[in-house]
Amino acid sequence: MKNKKLWLWGPLLVLFMSFSYAQEKTISGNVTDQDGVPLPGVSVLVVDTTNGTQTDFDGNYTIGVNEGQVLRFSYIGQKTTERTVGNESTINVQLEEDAQALEEVIVTGQGSGIQRRKLSTTVDVLTEEKIDRLPANQIDQMLQATAPSAQIRLSSGQPGTASIIRTRGAISAASSSTPVIIVDGIRVDNLNSNARLGIATGGANVSALADIPVESIERIEYIKGGAATTLYGADAANGIIQIITKKGKAGKGTVFFESKLGVIKATDDYLKYKRTGEAIFQPGISQEYRVGLSGGSEKFTYNFGGSLYKDDGFNDLNEQVRRTFTFGYSAQVTDKFKYQGSFSYVSFDSNLDYNANTSFSRFSAFEGAAGGVNLDELTEEEWIPLRDNAREIGELVDITSRTSRFTGSNKFVYDFTDNFQANAVVGIDYRTTVQEELQSNALLVALGSRPQGTTDKASLTRALRANFIVTGDLNFTHKANTENFGFTTILGGQFFRTADRQNQLSGSGGVDGTRKIDFFPTQSAADFVLENANYGLYFLENIGIYNVAFLEFGGRLDKSTVSGEGTSPLLLPKVGITYNVSDHDFYQNSNFSNFLSTIRLRANYGEATNFAEPFEQDKTFELASFLDRPAFSFANPGNPLLVSETVKTTEYGLELGFFRNRLNLSGTRYKGNTVDALFTPVAKPSEGAQNQIQNIGEVQNEGWEFEMRAAVLQSEKHQMNLNVSYNTNENLVVSTGGGAPFVVGGFNVLGSVVAEGQSLGYLRGTAAVLQDDGSYEFVTNSFLGDTFAPNFGSVSLDYSWNNKISIFVTGDYQFGGKITDLSLLLRHLRGVDDSTVPEELLGTTSPFNYTNFFVFDNDYFKIRNIGLSYDFGDALKPFSNVKLGLSVTNPFNFTAGNFDPEATGSGIAAQGGFASGGFAYGTESSPRIYMSSLKFQF
Amino acid sequence: MKKIVSTICMVLLLISCTDNFSSVVDFTKVENPTLSEASVVGQPNSSVIWLDGIKQNMAFVYNELLVLAELGSDNYVNTQTFYNQFLDNLTLLSADPDLRDATREVARLREMAKFGLEFVGPGDSEYSSEQEADFNFYLGLSYMYAGMYFPALPQEPGGAAISASQNYQDALVAFDKAIALNPGQTRYLLAKARVNYYLGDKTAAVAAATAALAIDDSFDNIVRFDADAPTGTPDGTNPANVMESALYQRATFDDLQPLPTLDFLDPKYSFLSDGEDAPVHYLKAEEALLILAEANLSDGNVAAAQDNLTDLLELIATREVRSIDDSIEGRTEGMPRSRPDSTIVVVNGREGLVLNRHSGDVEIPSVSGTSLTAEDIESLTADDDGLELLYRTRQEVFIAEGLRFVDMGLKLIIDENETLQNENISETDLGAVPLIPSFISAVASDLDAITYDAATGVATTVVDVNKILVANKTSPEVLPFH
Repeated sequence: MKNKKLWLWGPLLVLFMSFSYAQEKTISGNVTDQDGVPLPGVSVLVVDTTNGTQTDFDGNYTIGVNEGQVLRFSYIGQKTTERTVGNESTINVQLEEDAQALEEVIVTGQGSGIQRRKLSTTVDVLTEEKIDRLPANQIDQMLQATAPSAQIRLSSGQPGTASIIRTRGAISAASSSTPVIIVDGIRVDNLNSNARLGIATGGANVSALADIPVESIERIEYIKGGAATTLYGADAANGIIQIITKKGKAGKGTVFFESKLGVIKATDDYLKYKRTGEAIFQPGISQEYRVGLSGGSEKFTYNFGGSLYKDDGFNDLNEQVRRTFTFGYSAQVTDKFKYQGSFSYVSFDSNLDYNANTSFSRFSAFEGAAGGVNLDELTEEEWIPLRDNAREIGELVDITSRTSRFTGSNKFVYDFTDNFQANAVVGIDYRTTVQEELQSNALLVALGSRPQGTTDKASLTRALRANFIVTGDLNFTHKANTENFGFTTILGGQFFRTADRQNQLSGSGGVDGTRKIDFFPTQSAADFVLENANYGLYFLENIGIYNVAFLEFGGRLDKSTVSGEGTSPLLLPKVGITYNVSDHDFYQNSNFSNFLSTIRLRANYGEATNFAEPFEQDKTFELASFLDRPAFSFANPGNPLLVSETVKTTEYGLELGFFRNRLNLSGTRYKGNTVDALFTPVAKPSEGAQNQIQNIGEVQNEGWEFEMRAAVLQSEKHQMNLNVSYNTNENLVVSTGGGAPFVVGGFNVLGSVVAEGQSLGYLRGTAAVLQDDGSYEFVTNSFLGDTFAPNFGSVSLDYSWNNKISIFVTGDYQFGGKITDLSLLLRHLRGVDDSTVPEELLGTTSPFNYTNFFVFDNDYFKIRNIGLSYDFGDALKPFSNVKLGLSVTNPFNFTAGNFDPEATGSGIAAQGGFASGGFAYGTESSPRIYMSSLKFQF
Repeated sequence: MKKIVSTICMVLLLISCTDNFSSVVDFTKVENPTLSEASVVGQPNSSVIWLDGIKQNMAFVYNELLVLAELGSDNYVNTQTFYNQFLDNLTLLSADPDLRDATREVARLREMAKFGLEFVGPGDSEYSSEQEADFNFYLGLSYMYAGMYFPALPQEPGGAAISASQNYQDALVAFDKAIALNPGQTRYLLAKARVNYYLGDKTAAVAAATAALAIDDSFDNIVRFDADAPTGTPDGTNPANVMESALYQRATFDDLQPLPTLDFLDPKYSFLSDGEDAPVHYLKAEEALLILAEANLSDGNVAAAQDNLTDLLELIATREVRSIDDSIEGRTEGMPRSRPDSTIVVVNGREGLVLNRHSGDVEIPSVSGTSLTAEDIESLTADDDGLELLYRTRQEVFIAEGLRFVDMGLKLIIDENETLQNENISETDLGAVPLIPSFISAVASDLDAITYDAATGVATTVVDVNKILVANKTSPEVLPFH
């Protein structure tokens, strides 16, 4: 028994070792780059020991060593240099630039990582430094305005709610556009909508993205669809967000403690009535404490991170609590065998308010003028009871969500030879969520839903979801080089399996004061299961030609259990070419290269897929409990020919770097065709059958992606970088396979619709069209606009002074799309807001005949974050570093209309379903957060 | 030692290769927890479960048809965004998804009845003639609803549109089979009476209605609704009473508002229990009496008609009246006092039709209610005034049951999902184009219109549909006995 606990000492031992190495003499010195500029943060390590340190802000270091030992100086982008210690006491080192090393290695695809310059596809990368400065701790919020070609809309300010994420357009009418999320090679639950049996709050729904572990991230790679995702197979057509966590670095162990304190205030810019805010909003406090521990020897490195977070929201009833810890480690077991592991635990508790499509929502009731009440016209005496009632409701609303998520990854690397390597990854993600909605009698009475004195109508709904994903991957990478050619060959197999099990328990007719389901006189239960396995073999060959051009081809043979009996595995090919014109020696030696330093041409073609919901291929029958008796009926008609839909993407790109890459421009043209697109056309009603998903549609996306990265200032003291991106997307439903248009959101008179010749989910409604004679003609099913803005991008600006003060600003924008202001429509229906409707129409016909007057541009420009940090360096002993940060989130918003075109939570209700976001309604916008942080490092 | 280790390794390797262990590492096995056909067909007692499934489907049928029919008629107006937004003005759009859903449920009723007759029943060792009779009855009902609500509708998946009169005829064939298999069921007989009534076959209608009353003079057949069963099984369906939600359950959302002349009858459906919603009384003795009364009036036999109506009053007096708290509603339509909500209100010169919902519980008939009085019956005449009284009574007795729409000669249309995908139907076929009697389309936008002066309490409906119907009694679309 005693022995079994020995392993517990392992990590402690490592720590101990790293602090207690015997030292005989002290060497100090200064490290500079090729231009003589001091380099802070250079790793200085005594070779073959765990003894190490880092240079300070002036490039100085001090380390204790024995004579004859070797010091190794390494720094990213510089060639690693070694010096043997003699009898001197000062060793100054000038590192040389390492052009090859500067080229980032992208983990994309399977197999070993690959240098960016060899890739024909583009990848957006978010580095540790940029991640750490962001105040957000939700992956979608982090990527917003930082991933240059992603369009991320936060659909509600309620805590932990779903967002709409997309890059190259909506590729599917059958599924969400949320990318697959992979943490250290392991797929994790990315459900970015309400679960099938989840608790609907009328609108905004909790999302699994809220509890993706974001602690200890080393880098995030956002891989857009197309050829870049071919090897991932399965449902990778929406792209991949790949998260690589920290495993620690060899050298001196570091410990940090960080405390963040902030104020969360509602964004009230868009309120129709100030009084809505007066009743519902209440600034909240946000607190977070983080600790981190990292270090290791050459053979073993480790990283630990833990945090506790709490905020009590901007809305009087919201609250969220997050507890996380992560650890990662890397062990060089033998010369040839390396083992890396990571584990994270996240617990996320939040509560939501009712919003949008429910009469219980205070926000949508006030803003939509429920009951014909115009809050501005009420006297103070009329208002106070209403306000107090809303506040009372706020005390009584009880919708909670509690999530626990465990993610573990193991990676084994075995080098058979220097050129032949095997990689194996296996890991799991397990996420459980318990949601509860308690409608107490007191709440129902306060809402006016039940008469005063009601005591036996309370209801409790509990939704349980457990989602388990196991991922496994084994691949072999072989590298061979001849004088002029380089060959990288990857061959591998991958599988993942998902089991999503949901249960819902409901009790009704209860009294107040209990959350025990069997205390409710009437109970019911429901369950829902999704299970699927996906597996495939993949192959990739990357041929380097004179180390300037790279030809890449490969493919994946992909099989999913979500396919009909009569189908065979899908073969997904990819091919790409990259030509680094500027890497030719003659070019580099020419003077012209000082002006135009990088020229890279890229082109590729690749296929990626999306599968349907599990079991949709099966013919099934339903057995319902109808009045407590079993009742059969038809269910899914079945489709033995069901296969994944395939997105075929062609991409061309050009990258230019001017003035020694101080100014970088990148342009990409893409065209993606979704063939065999999964549509669930409305069955002929005469069949009396459920609608069956079929591979009958075709969707097309094409557009441009431009990015500019400029080092505006680059002096010893001043550094300023400006990044700007602009993207376009034209989305078109080429074919619905003969089916009639169908509504995917909204209403019959004004809906988000899928129809041939239009964009997915475009807005269609009855429009009042002004005629020459001044009268109006009412045209049903008129085109009212595209719900997704076809133009979007982001902007970021960084400035740092003397490596001490740094300031950054991020923002994003979109234009060209349309959105319905549903609150306005409701206010109009309720007779309190005629502001946008022509006077001559008022009272002459139903407002449903002029829905076009409630549809507006969804253009916006929003500053998402402004941050300022001051680095005290080692001025505050005993800390080796102290950093103070201040930031504000969502400080400035500029929108075309008087409402927030992002607040569209009500459209993300179906599990994994398509969300158009064409209706702004009834939920609060993302709040303003003023945050301060103080980080101490030992 | 080495030997032992290698032996153990070998044994372990062997075990792991057996089938027994392969399930541990087989990651491709998935199991669909729902039901396959083998669990439904060929199993003992599957007919009774299938029949309960059909009864559930009846709830779906009524959920789809009632809202459309009540909005399309003068009974109700939709003042919110939930529920259909086109039918109030009798705008029949082939792209209206509610039309699609209504047609689908009628078709599903037919397909389920057929599947019961062809597969489930014959495969069930416990199959009875009563069950076979019911399968035939529900098949007949699907044809009957097709005839009542559509000018023409297919009888097969992807089939050609069959005219209403043929659908009615096929309904009669199915009802007769049911009656032969299980005589003595009032619902079979009244359904037969109703079809004959709408076909204008007075003799057959009277015979079937009389036969039904002879079995039980106060019969009441209901479609039941489950209040707490999950929605969406099958897809897009709701086993709770949707009309109850529209009239009552959505509390402060006053979705559907009745014509003020019918205020005292609303909401017919109110909270029953946590497990069950209020039923729809879809084939009740009142209908047989009203058919007899109309037949007698058309024959000039006033005394017999008076007897029928007296029986009707007596019957209605025995029906349940529910005392409900409707104070949450209050006819505000988002604008306080915009609709009649007080007992002082006089509608079209008549008093006592509007209730005050804010002074305690209100008494609302849950099966049938009427403003008809013994004095009204005494002064009944065989002329148009008598017919108007009869039609007013039909409107009141059948409120929220979907018959008023049919009485007004209205029909829905086949939706575009059918016309686009069904090779046998084109957009110009019978059934695909709206057929609205001209005398109704002329007043389509005024069907629900009222003028109301809250101060004086005077409310007036802009049109009197009963008057219009009677004035056009010779039209083939309305008053089938004339």
